[in-house]
Amino acid sequence: MTSIDRTFVRESASALTLGLIGCKHCHTVSRLPASLPITRKHHKNVLRCPCCQAHLQSRIPNSLSKTWALLLAAAFMYIPANILPIMNVTYLGTGQPDTIMQGIIHLIEGGMWPLALIVFVASIVIPFLKLLVMAGLLLSVHFRSHWRPIERKKLFHITEFVGRWSMVDIFVVAILVALVQFGNIASVDAGLGALSFAVVVVLTMFAAHTFDPRLIWDAMETDNTKNTENMENKDKSHG
Amino acid sequence: MQQGERPQSQSQPETFLRVCQDCDLVQAVPKLRDNEAAHCLRCHSVLETRKKNSLNRSLALVLTGIILFILSNLFPLLSLKAQGIAYDGTLLSASIELYNRDRPWLALLVLFTTFIFPAISLLGTLFVLIVTKLHYQTPVTASLFRFLHSTEIWGMLEVFMLAILVAGVKLGDLADIIMGVSLYSFICLIIVLSFLSLSLNSNTIWHPDGHHP
Ligand SMILES: [Zn+2]
Ligand SMILES: [Zn+2]
Repeated sequence: MTSIDRTFVRESASALTLGLIGCKHCHTVSRLPASLPITRKHHKNVLRCPCCQAHLQSRIPNSLSKTWALLLAAAFMYIPANILPIMNVTYLGTGQPDTIMQGIIHLIEGGMWPLALIVFVASIVIPFLKLLVMAGLLLSVHFRSHWRPIERKKLFHITEFVGRWSMVDIFVVAILVALVQFGNIASVDAGLGALSFAVVVVLTMFAAHTFDPRLIWDAMETDNTKNTENMENKDKSHG
Repeated sequence: MQQGERPQSQSQPETFLRVCQDCDLVQAVPKLRDNEAAHCLRCHSVLETRKKNSLNRSLALVLTGIILFILSNLFPLLSLKAQGIAYDGTLLSASIELYNRDRPWLALLVLFTTFIFPAISLLGTLFVLIVTKLHYQTPVTASLFRFLHSTEIWGMLEVFMLAILVAGVKLGDLADIIMGVSLYSFICLIIVLSFLSLSLNSNTIWHPDGHHP
């Protein structure tokens, strides 16, 4: 596919400061009603896209505090996810609990290096980096960092995309539970670690969902006095 | 479906205002031709793409996907053979077995990510595409398509494919692993779904005739 950049700028300001709002579903641009403050949704003043009726939001309300809450919960669950066994392998009556790390060590001992690497990256590296990157992004917005906004946005999208691949370990356990059921000889059960790990993956996916990348640029634009009025609502979220 | 306001784009008839979803920059985008993409000037995100013959291509891919999805569920994906007995594992047996072994929440998560969301996504996309093809869009199809758009990250069939590979190798030295009939259709399904996500975008549904509001 050819990708030709034929865009040119007419305005170099954010939609919020110009009183405009873009629909994320159908891309229609609408005018923000002057009488309608952007985040007064508890008074039922919900903006709807004139084209597709989608709920319009200039910014995700309370994005920073929501994302922090989900992230901290995920970080908390990361501990049992790594300590508790994600599966119990019962072989000839004797049970052997396996944590994520022990599973990887078993793979290495069995000489299955590439597989051990896949599981290591998906189950240990990605969740940990995801927590770290999201926390870094939140802090950078909080401290109004001007550092490399494009790279920070890219980092966010990579984190958002890659997070779901951590589910691979949960699915492996599910497949083993379904297949290995030889009565008293051998059986596999999912451990509590698997549940905690699944919670970590789901929480970090929600955290990526509630983070609003537009805040990266808002934080750099706030010196502009024009938009202080509109920013007021948003600032409360991380004040 | 084009009653959107058109603020200040009269002077240049061939451009349309777009707001970047990543950095909120307002910019004028020219009307795109087939297989072109417009990128944000400030953050380089894709603002808008036009795919050639997107509607018909997506329709063909969705129909193929639905057939492959049914096939993937009819027969076992993997079978484990030990002491003369074979145990078949289907797409659904992973969640059913988790439920039987007192892990209802995990079972639910696996069921939703590997069966319910992919099924809803395929059937819903087929419905929305047919309705668009027949020029019969209603608010219901609009909200259905929005729902599909925002839940697409929860369908995780390609992650499940990787898990099948890992589980297969893990079990390989303990017992005989037999690749099931459905595994082949499942692999095809993953390929078809990735082509579908390349060919289908919001322009296909909201502006099927190439009009921009
Ligand atoms: Zn819309
Ligand atoms: Zn942008």
